[in-house]
Order: sequence, then C-alpha cells, then structure tokens
Amino acid sequence: MTDTRLRMAVPKGALFEGTVSLLVRAGVDVGALADPGRQLIVDTDEMRFIICKPTDIPAYVAYGAADVAVSGADVLAEAGLDVVELADLGFGQCRFVVAEREGSSEEVLRSYRRLGVIRVATKYPRVAEAHFASRGIQVELVKLHGNIELAPLVGLADQVVDITATGTTLRENGLSIVDEVMDSSARFIANPVSVRIDADRVTGLVERLRAAAAQGSKGVMQ
Amino acid sequence: MRPVTPRGFRDVLFEEAAERRVVTAAVSDVFMRYAYRFVETPAVEEYATLEAAVGATVSGAAFRLVDLDGSLLALRPEMTLPIARLAAARLGGSSGPQRLCYAADVYREHASLRGESRQFAQLGVELLAVNGPASDAEVVCVLVDALRATGLTEFTVGMGTVAVLRALIGAAASTPEWAASLMAAAHARNLVAFDALTAAPGVPSTVGSALRTVVRIAGGREAIAACRAAAGAVGCAGALDALEAAWDLLEAAGAADRVRVDFGILRSFDYYTGLIVEAYAPGLGLPLGGGGRYDDLLAAFGTPMPAAGFALSLERVTIALAAQGVEVPVRDIDALVGGDPAACARVCSRLRAGGWRVQASANRTADALVGEARDAGAVWWMAGEDAALTRVSDGAALALEPLSAPPALEASNEKGSVR
Repeated sequence: MTDTRLRMAVPKGALFEGTVSLLVRAGVDVGALADPGRQLIVDTDEMRFIICKPTDIPAYVAYGAADVAVSGADVLAEAGLDVVELADLGFGQCRFVVAEREGSSEEVLRSYRRLGVIRVATKYPRVAEAHFASRGIQVELVKLHGNIELAPLVGLADQVVDITATGTTLRENGLSIVDEVMDSSARFIANPVSVRIDADRVTGLVERLRAAAAQGSKGVMQ
Repeated sequence: MRPVTPRGFRDVLFEEAAERRVVTAAVSDVFMRYAYRFVETPAVEEYATLEAAVGATVSGAAFRLVDLDGSLLALRPEMTLPIARLAAARLGGSSGPQRLCYAADVYREHASLRGESRQFAQLGVELLAVNGPASDAEVVCVLVDALRATGLTEFTVGMGTVAVLRALIGAAASTPEWAASLMAAAHARNLVAFDALTAAPGVPSTVGSALRTVVRIAGGREAIAACRAAAGAVGCAGALDALEAAWDLLEAAGAADRVRVDFGILRSFDYYTGLIVEAYAPGLGLPLGGGGRYDDLLAAFGTPMPAAGFALSLERVTIALAAQGVEVPVRDIDALVGGDPAACARVCSRLRAGGWRVQASANRTADALVGEARDAGAVWWMAGEDAALTRVSDGAALALEPLSAPPALEASNEKGSVR
C-alpha cells in the first residue's frame, strides 16, 4: 500500500466526457485522461484514474479496487452492491421507463388477464423486477444485452424496461412509454471503507465536484 | 465425476489453515484476557427464532433447510442471534454481566457470481446484562486489542451511535413511512436519497439540516462536541454524554489512538440501539468486522437484557495481513527422523514427548533424509541409529540427551505468509 493516490473509476461511454469536464471545472488535474488513447489507467500526482465499462463500476468500487467513481444511478440500482452514494452530479440525466408497441395496450391487457403474466425484456432485470413487484404485476423477465426496443416488435416480449434520455429511439421504433420507473443521473460514489478512513480527501473531492456541478447547471440551460 | 465444493464454499489447505489457527489463537487469547468465556452453538437454528428477532432482514441472508419433520431451519447467518437465543434460553436466571465469546463459522446466502463466500469464520464477543459507557468502552477496547494481537500494523476502529439519528428522526415528527425511507437510505449508504428526504415537505428545516450535518461528522473528541452543537437540542444529549464518557475510558485504557468517532457509520442491521463500531484496514475495501449495542434484541426472546458485542471476519483479517506484508509466525515441523523402523520409532517418541513436531520417515538413507527434510521445511534431521540430530542448514549437531526445547518459531518460519 505504498501508492497513496486516490483511485477513481471513470466510466467509458456516455458519461465519460461529462465526468472529465466536471473534474476539470472542479480544478482536478486530469493529466492524460481527456485523451487516454488505449490506456486504461491514467496516473497524475494525486489521482489514479481507472477507465472501465459503466456497468462494472459498482464492482470496482464495492470490492475496493477504486476508492471513488462516477456512475449512473441506473447502473447502481441494477448492481445492488455496497457503495456509498455521495452526490448527484446532475449530468447524464435519463429515465427508466416501461414501453410497449404503439397501440398494443389492449392486447397486452388481454394476454395478462388470460395468462396472468406479462413478458418483459430488459437489460436491467433487478430494477424491472422491483418495479413490477411494487405495482403488483406478475412478469416474466427476459434479460437482453442491447437493442431492447426490438423485443416487442418481433414478439419476444410484451413490454420493455429501458433507459431513455429523450425517448427518440423508442418513438422511432414505434414504441410508446406507458410507465415511469425511476429517474437517473450521474452519481459520485465511494467505497464504504475509503469514505471512512480516507474521509478528508473523499469529502474534499465531493465538495469540489458538487460546487462545479452546481455552477455548471447555472451556466447551461437544462 | 470430478468432485467440487458447492459455490461459495472452499477447502482450506496447509499454510492458510496454519495461519488461520495462529490468528484465531491470538485473538482468542485477547478475549480471554478480558475474562470472556468461550461458548459454542449449533450451526443450525429454527428459522422462526431468527425471524422473531430481526424480522424480514434475515430472509435474504439465511441459508434455509427443511428437515424430515418439516421444520424450517436456517444455518446461522451470524453469531449475535444464536448467542442472544442461548442467553435467553439458558442464562435468564443468572445475575450480573455475562461475558461470552466465540470462534465459529457462519453461513450466508448470496446470488451467484458475486465473488463472495457463503461460509465465513467469525471471531467475536458479546457482553450481556450490562450497559453504560464502561461496557461500551470495554467492547471497543477488546476489538482494538484483538486487532493489535493479529499483527496488523495499520487499522482503524470507527465508533458512532445510532441514538443521534433516531433522536433526530423522532424530532422530525414526520410520517412512519418517511422515517422508514430515511433509515433505508442510511442503511443503503445512499446520501443523495438521504439528503433529498431531509428536505422533504413537513420536515422542520432545523432538523433537516441537523440530519445532513451529523452523518458527515467524524474525528476525535471534538467530533462529539461538533455533533452536540448540531443535534444536542433534539434529545440525544444523553447519548452524546455517554459516548464522551466511553471516549474518556478509551483514552485511559490507551486504545483511543486507534479509534475514530464517526457519526456516519450506519450498519445495516436494524437491531442496534446505541453504540456502533466498525473496523477498517487500509487497502481492504470491506470492513474487517463490526458490531454495536442491541439492548432490545433479547426482549424479542422474552428475556429483556442489554447487550453489546462485535464480530471480526477471520478471512478479511488474513487478507489485510497479507496486503500489509505481515508475516504470521507459522510453525512447521521441527525434525525429520529416518533409520531402521524400531530406532526411528524410539527417537520420534522421545522427541515428541519433549514437544517437538516430528515426521517419521523410516528406512531412508541420510542423503534422502536431508533432501526430504529440506522439502518439508524441517530444521533438523536424524537417522534413528545416530546419537545426534543434524541441522539441515549447516550440518551442526545437537545431542538427543539432554533434549533441548523445540526450535524457536522464528527458525522454523521459512514458509511465512507473504503472498
């Protein structure tokens, strides 16, 4: 344990640019993180950035391979791992919704009455299961890894639970939103032990990011 | 077929097993120096017993079994409940404090592929039928000394109380649903949801801001003062006085340098009523162990009595020891004895009576014995017909009579725990 850098996991993909720009605005030295090429680990004097797949971030943090991270609330809800959620960073907003084929409501209801179960396709089985349980609806979940909107079109499922920022993809594929599950945005999270024994650095970073996020949301129209 | 262990269960082999025994012995010795006495409970409890005490929280964690009578049983998911059950069933009539300790395996159910075991070894204590700052401080002191005894060079014990959060929730005088949501957010360590709930309509803004402040307070004695300033007016002054009195005792006992007061520790068992503790080692992303005070738990079994305790995870302690490069002094065999079978048996018997750890390898030649001794990590070798032992490393001789004590632990510790 000679390396004393604070280890931060940074998600590839949709949240990557927002994360880097927030770090920069918070005055954190990001070094080569803005343009890492194929590097997966970027070191600066104070930080070690670990670039990983968004859905893997909770595992890196929960098992202590990273002290802190930025992760979507959607991913956190699905992972269900033990991490401390410290701040809502405001960007990366999207919604979890239930959608079905345009005009298929009657059909879905009829089949639910006859079969007692709706078949739902999703990338997020835990979130979907909890949502339908809270509505008292019995479902059969089909876990898919992408292009969820395809499932109702080809008869694989009656409904889908998916995330959407604007609803465009769903609309373009002839799906309509029938229920809201939860709102998501980028969260700053920490390992439960790091937040206790490295409290000063973790809290310091949270405060800087929170301040930068608040300023950002004032400058940019949401 | 090629037999395997069930998912989440594993075999423990030589070096690791030896190391676990050394750590367990060192920690057990600390427990006994504080006058705690060992107890053992069955691996299986009635499921209803666990459910009566902690309700639904047990259902996700317990490994359930149905026996031939149709009774629903559960492998113990932790030791606090079995000890509480034992105390309620068997110690109800006794007066005065009871100090119990254990080194036992517990079992938890997990979903697949989480990289988590389903069987853990726990080392812990329970201090029953007494409460107050002195008993809280005693539990923390045992924890600090137990961790010191493991050989860990770096560790911290976090100490807090649930009384502050409970008092603030009471002061908010909001709905039971709100209180439940706030506790759930606290247990899930979701401070975003926690902060949002403290700003919910109907929650007095003074209470809301006190809630947001206290869960972020940590430090030494000054943290208690800071918490008093933030939340003392809402009815938790007594709890903070008790915490400060316990802190005084930790200082007197020389344990305070390892302890950090932290009002953000929120352990996920609902049964804690006061003190909560957690132990951390740098570089290990999970706590080494934890516990607290659960004064209402035994009332669920019909014998109300205050209680407090903690459990350390043996697996996590050994992981932290390896991460910190600490060598656990594991003792290998002392000598390898060969020669003709009768002479070998006679020498082995003599050495073992003197406390030596000896492997018999009758009918081996001297050359074979040296090599075998080296492989086995033995310090000395001897052919039964010889009059003296020979040291593997340099060929020095040691007479059999008078027999000296077995080689020191350091000398035999060639195969330590460094990974």
